[in-house]
Amino acid sequence: MAPWCFLLFENESGKSSARKLLPRIAKAAIKGIIYFALFYILPTFVVSQLSEFAPQLFSQYEQTVAVFAVILIFFVVASELTSGTIYQHALNIGRALILIIFFVYALNGGIVKFDIDIAGSQRVSIVADLRIFLLMLIAIDLLGLAKSVLQAVNFLSEKADKQVLMPRPAENP
Amino acid sequence: MRQAIRALGWANAIFWIILLLFAITVVYSAVQIQPRFGEPSVTNSNGAFVVSLPLSIYNGGFYDINRFNITTQISDNRGSAINRSSTLVPVLPKGENTTIEHRMTLSIKQAATSNLSYLLFNDSELNVEAIVKLVYANAFPIEISSNFTTSWGAPFANLTLGNIVLISSTRVSMPVSFENHSFLGMNGTLRLEIVDSTNNAVGGTSVAFDAPPETRFERSIEVTVSGSPAQIREARLYFETPFLEYGPVVFSLV
Repeated sequence: MAPWCFLLFENESGKSSARKLLPRIAKAAIKGIIYFALFYILPTFVVSQLSEFAPQLFSQYEQTVAVFAVILIFFVVASELTSGTIYQHALNIGRALILIIFFVYALNGGIVKFDIDIAGSQRVSIVADLRIFLLMLIAIDLLGLAKSVLQAVNFLSEKADKQVLMPRPAENP
Repeated sequence: MRQAIRALGWANAIFWIILLLFAITVVYSAVQIQPRFGEPSVTNSNGAFVVSLPLSIYNGGFYDINRFNITTQISDNRGSAINRSSTLVPVLPKGENTTIEHRMTLSIKQAATSNLSYLLFNDSELNVEAIVKLVYANAFPIEISSNFTTSWGAPFANLTLGNIVLISSTRVSMPVSFENHSFLGMNGTLRLEIVDSTNNAVGGTSVAFDAPPETRFERSIEVTVSGSPAQIREARLYFETPFLEYGPVVFSLV
């Protein structure tokens, strides 16, 4: 087993670690598949349907949907694999921050511009000001970030409490 | 702390669901908007072409459209602004059909009194910039713009003053012709003034003219001149119509 796996289970033997890791891998795989279906297959289907309605408008978002799905799936799988450790909370914080950057980038800072050719020759420019929507996305993501930070603090404080409560080995005179 | 984390988790999930539903309904509603353009009509009002563009919008979505504003700006191919018109509709309510009539006015009088006078005599291409601004679902300001060109037909296209024909020692004849390429019927008085080499008017006359749209006006104008016809240097044409006074258009006869 790779040495990094043992970092996930402090103070435990390799055999015990492997026994605990297998269900996590299974759970992470299941979550990954569910997230893949929810955040890649379903949105891609919706975008492709909308692309038929207005190809120049929605087809450019296929790649954005894919990147969004990759970010989510990576973090949900990694978070599941590291559950019960501080890394899980660190990954959740990282996900929240990366998603904020992703939303700002994907929505071009809230001002989305695109051109549509109508009847082959007539070009129509559309500028949509989505700053309020972007603000809502960031606000909700910050809520998630706050939750992850609190979870990390809670995890560390509980760990410290356990260490205080654990009886220390008696010192030899 | 656990309760606070749980509360944040619930709030986060609820807000995500609300935002997702909002985004889905906004996209769905936007697809349900059905604009229909009517047949543009051109009318004449006090010497101006009034182009009316009827527009019917069925807002079949879940959200109102606010501050719907159509602006059109017409300029010539040199970039000089001819007209700017705006039509503002405060609200296009959800589930309702709203009919809007956007009017653009092209004043010939304005063309005659500004640096656009060449449009009276030359066909041209006019640039039309159309901008639609609206606020959708009280949250998303949207601007849609497009440019296109339209042809302009000059009301006195190919204005020509022919060579002087001597009828007698004091009487001359000059053929005048032009084509009315505009949608507007041009009628009124055409005044011809003859000027000699000392810049004095030595003769003049007025004739009525009537040039319906897409017709050619052609007429020989006879003028009695004082002094020798050999001294004639130039002819000046003045147009007087119910909605336009323009002149002089100077033709050198030397």
